[in-house]
Amino acid sequence: MNSLRYLRQGSAAVFIPLSSKFPVGPQLLLRKRYYATVTNADLYDVVVVGGGPAGLSLATSLRSSSVTAGLRVALVEGLDLAHARNWKSEPETYSNRVSSLTPGSVGFLTDIGAWKHVQRDRVQAYHGMQVWDGVSGSRIEFNWNSSASETIAYMTENSNLVHGLLSRISELGGVEIIDKTRVESISFGEDNGELDLRTWPVVEITGGRKLVARLLVGADGANSPVRTFAGIESRGWDYERHGVVATVKLEEGSRVGVEKTAYQRFLPTGPVALLPLPGDFATLVWSTTPQVAAKLKTLAPDEFSAMVNAAFRLSHVDIDYIKGLSEGIAGEVQWRERVSQFDYTRVPARVVGVQDKSVASFPLKMRHADSYIAERIALVGDAAHTVHPLAGQGLNQGIGDIQSLIETLEAAVQHGQDIGNSSLLPFVTPNISNIFSLANQGSILSLEPYYSAQYFKNDLMLGVVDKLHKLYSTTSAPVVALRSLGLSVVNTMGGLKSLIMKQAAGRR
Amino acid sequence: MILKRIAQLAGARTLFNGSFSALARPPPNYEGHIPLNPPERAILAIGNLIATLGETTATPYFIYRLRDVMLSSPTGRRILRDRPRITSKTLDMDQLRKLPDGTVGREYAAWLDKEGVSPDTRSQVRYIDDPECAYVMQRYRECHDFYHALTGLPVIVEGEIALKAFEFANTLIPMTGLSMFAAVRLKRGEQKRILTTYFPWAVRNGLLSKEVINIYWEEELETSVEALRERIGLEKPPDLRKIRKEERARKKAEIAARETLGPS
Repeated sequence: MNSLRYLRQGSAAVFIPLSSKFPVGPQLLLRKRYYATVTNADLYDVVVVGGGPAGLSLATSLRSSSVTAGLRVALVEGLDLAHARNWKSEPETYSNRVSSLTPGSVGFLTDIGAWKHVQRDRVQAYHGMQVWDGVSGSRIEFNWNSSASETIAYMTENSNLVHGLLSRISELGGVEIIDKTRVESISFGEDNGELDLRTWPVVEITGGRKLVARLLVGADGANSPVRTFAGIESRGWDYERHGVVATVKLEEGSRVGVEKTAYQRFLPTGPVALLPLPGDFATLVWSTTPQVAAKLKTLAPDEFSAMVNAAFRLSHVDIDYIKGLSEGIAGEVQWRERVSQFDYTRVPARVVGVQDKSVASFPLKMRHADSYIAERIALVGDAAHTVHPLAGQGLNQGIGDIQSLIETLEAAVQHGQDIGNSSLLPFVTPNISNIFSLANQGSILSLEPYYSAQYFKNDLMLGVVDKLHKLYSTTSAPVVALRSLGLSVVNTMGGLKSLIMKQAAGRR
Repeated sequence: MILKRIAQLAGARTLFNGSFSALARPPPNYEGHIPLNPPERAILAIGNLIATLGETTATPYFIYRLRDVMLSSPTGRRILRDRPRITSKTLDMDQLRKLPDGTVGREYAAWLDKEGVSPDTRSQVRYIDDPECAYVMQRYRECHDFYHALTGLPVIVEGEIALKAFEFANTLIPMTGLSMFAAVRLKRGEQKRILTTYFPWAVRNGLLSKEVINIYWEEELETSVEALRERIGLEKPPDLRKIRKEERARKKAEIAARETLGPS
């Protein structure tokens, strides 16, 4: 009796999925007691807050994994997802919100069955990359062996991806998607004597309904309410730069027979990148000062195109001057292009048009949460980290989180752990541990593997990207000379380059 | 070889321009251009051809810097766009001589007449690869006589050195700095004057005034020198001729005094 009591209080909880699909006898037996005071409808194994690419990927992978398919999952999203669900693509029109997905990320999306729902003719793979110093002109070129022609990344519209994920979720069924609904508050449950929900987060949504979560996942973006509830600090800084995005049209047929290439030039104010979309289209990401971003947004289409062409062709001194002009930008750029020396084979095709209403901007930040996990809480994607877009790693990091979290949850379910447990210390779930705990001595640490797998990997990426931004934001001659030498040395070392490529591609 | 390799790696075309053998010289980038490789550049810089020295030492970095100075100014950009040349054909010297006293054009013409030179005596730039930078060098050379008009410094060795010091501080072209070593050839009294009066003036004004390379001289011919100096924030240097005259008078007086005292 004594030893039984010890186990009851000191052992790990047994994890029993709440879904009725889970065909385990004792669960049914248990349910009567379990739900004595809380209604069945209120309890979920996983509540995901946020219906962006990260949250939807998580919901999809939970349902597509045979191990976690038995979990009861709800997803709460403030916006109306009907728009994304009924997304109808218009040919020759591309969203300005485009992400670079590495082959590793696409592999995962394929595994969870979502990639086949993504419209592939709107996804552009690229095989080459040109990155150069806007002050010295030194350059690093990445090209997979043209024979092998391997893909560096896939440019994918976020709307296309979200649509694909939603299609996959409705194909799988079983995820309760609650959209057009805000999270009003998050609190902990109560101990009603029979059921101790004191460690279970309770999400109150618009209309007063309460969702009780065994595991609450914050996929709710950079200002994550879930993170705030968990009391996890997010640290970092603002770059005082804005990312200007736009969908642009390139000179027709200018690159026939040439493999699609991504271009990025490091200007002292920040990098400017032009990434390929299908056909003669491309997506622009230009990091620059908020003043210049505001100015770029006011430019007429032909002036905007001229500025983008200038950004890849003219000296940074020219660009600084021209962006201050109130008129005659196109003429000025034309003259400077004629007298400036640049290798036209190594700059992107000329921009000839900008898609209506596609110019937008957002502030650039670096943030990293102190932790990704707390008791019954996990953070994924932007809720956990925000990175400068210069390496195109934002969404890939988020998908990496999902991949790692799902593996962690699978392991926890397979070992009968309580999936919400983040703590090293044993804890007791409501009155049930005495029945099932015997087999689970010591298997307690269910979320920890997710944190340890992702945190340092992401921290390294954030750090490297941050240092790159800083290294290239100076025009100081000795620094420029050193960084140019470094870049060119790396450029001559094939082995190191393909290692970087593999790393960047997230190959598995 | 190693240097060449480093140059290639650094990819800094502004620092190490081109590497080719003298037998396979690339075609010229503009009329009169002679492409040079780094050893040739070094040899020409050492060989005492003043104009060549100016060009070869300006090529790494400095001429690009001066071009960027021009690119950052509306007037400088206009000059680069128009690429005006200062020659006896583009400037009507007779017309300049008729301008009122104290105007830039009149003073400029006066300098040339006094020296017995014409605007055409400036040599052609040959060894700078970038056509635009070659133009900047050409422009700098052709404007030199205007700097005399602007500062009022005479075309004697002492005045020339003072002006070079000002140009060095203002343009950072190395050649102008090297010219200052000519000061060792001066007499002791002149050296002292350069060091205590004119170098401080040159450094202060060279750094603080606006860049003279951005003055569109062709448009300032009728401007008064006074007004132009004020606009670019340049203070007039002490009148060298006057100082020298006074100095001479003082010396003469001393000698005279010694002579009247006689062998005591």
